[in-house]
Amino acid sequence: MKKSNIKNQSSSEGREVRIEHKKSLSPHYSLLTTKFQGVGLSDDDIKKGKVCTTHWIGDTKYAWDQGIAIGKYLEGLKHGKILGVECHKCGRKMVPPRMFCEWCFKTIDGWVELFDTGVVNTFSLCYVTWDVKRVKEPQIPAVIEIDGASKGMGIMHLLGEVNPKKVYIGMKVKAVWKSEKEREGAITDILYWKPIK
Amino acid sequence: MAIKERLNKASKAKAWYGEMPVESLYTVGIAGEKFFRAIKDEGKFLGTKCKKCSMVYVPPKIYCERCFEKLDEYIEVAECGSLESFTCVHIGLDGNRLPAPIIVGLINLDGASTCIIHKLGETTVEELCMGMRVCAVFKPKNKREGAITDILYFKPTKQ
Repeated sequence: MKKSNIKNQSSSEGREVRIEHKKSLSPHYSLLTTKFQGVGLSDDDIKKGKVCTTHWIGDTKYAWDQGIAIGKYLEGLKHGKILGVECHKCGRKMVPPRMFCEWCFKTIDGWVELFDTGVVNTFSLCYVTWDVKRVKEPQIPAVIEIDGASKGMGIMHLLGEVNPKKVYIGMKVKAVWKSEKEREGAITDILYWKPIK
Repeated sequence: MAIKERLNKASKAKAWYGEMPVESLYTVGIAGEKFFRAIKDEGKFLGTKCKKCSMVYVPPKIYCERCFEKLDEYIEVAECGSLESFTCVHIGLDGNRLPAPIIVGLINLDGASTCIIHKLGETTVEELCMGMRVCAVFKPKNKREGAITDILYFKPTKQ
C-alpha cells in the first residue's frame, strides 16, 4: 500500500515536470493535455480484456528472386564452397558475387572458388535478438574478409566458439559448415565462423 | 556469359522464400469501447450525436468531423436500417477465388447519419435492392467478444 502511494506521487510529479518543460517548447502542449480525451492503457488492461481489441496476424509470404549471381553463390554454399567472381580489368575478386563490376562497369569475367577462411573486418556484440528480446550470451555478427578475395571483400556472418571478450579485428576465422545432408543452399549452411591460429 | 542466358520457364528461377512476421493489436479507443461493449453486452448499436449540427455518428466518434465539436452524447440507434449500396465479392484477400461469394452492404441504421459496412446474409444478390430494409443478426451472447464480427451479418426483413 505504502509502496504504491510513493509510486503514484513520484509519477505525478514526473508528469508535472514534463508538462512544464513541454510548455516552453510548444504553446499547444497544454491544450493537448487538457482538452483532448483519452487515457494510456497498461499491459494489464489489454491482457485481462478490460478493453476491446482486435488481434491480427498478417500473412506476409514472399519469394525473392535470387538472380544469377546469388543463385550460383547459394548453390556453391550447398556444396560447401564459397564462390566469388573476378574482373580482369581491375583485377578484383569479389564476394558476394555480382554480374557487373561496379568499378569498371562491365560484365564480370569469371567465377573463382575462395577459401572458407577469413579475417574479421569488424564485429559487434549483440545482446538483443532481431525481435528485441534480451539475451545473456551475445550474438556476434561480423564482417569477414574472405581469403582468396580482394582486400575488403567480405560477407556478414556470425562468430562462434569464441569468448566475446576475446574477439578482435584482424582475427583469423574458419567457417563451420552444416553437414552435407543438412545444407540447403542458404547462407545459414555456414553455422558460424570460429577462430583459428 | 551467364548474363545472356535466358530461362525458358519462370518457375525455374531460383527464389528465396520467406515470411515476415507481422502482428498487430488494435485497441478500439474511447468511443469504440462504448460501441463494442454495447454490442457485446446488450446487442445494440450506440452512436454519438453532435449538439451543434445534429449529425449522429455510427460507429461513434469523439469529435464531429464537420464542426469539430466534442461528442459525448451517446444515443442508441436501431439495429435495423436501409441498405444504401451493396456489392458481391468473389475474390478473397489473398487473391484467390472464394468458395462462395460474399455480399457486402453499406447500411444506414435508423437514427444514424452515417453508414456502416457489413456482410449481408440469408439472401442472394438478385433479391437485393437499394433502400431495402435490413436488420442485424448477432452471435449468441455467450460467443460475443466485443468485435465487429459479433454481428454475423445483416439480413433483409419484410416491411
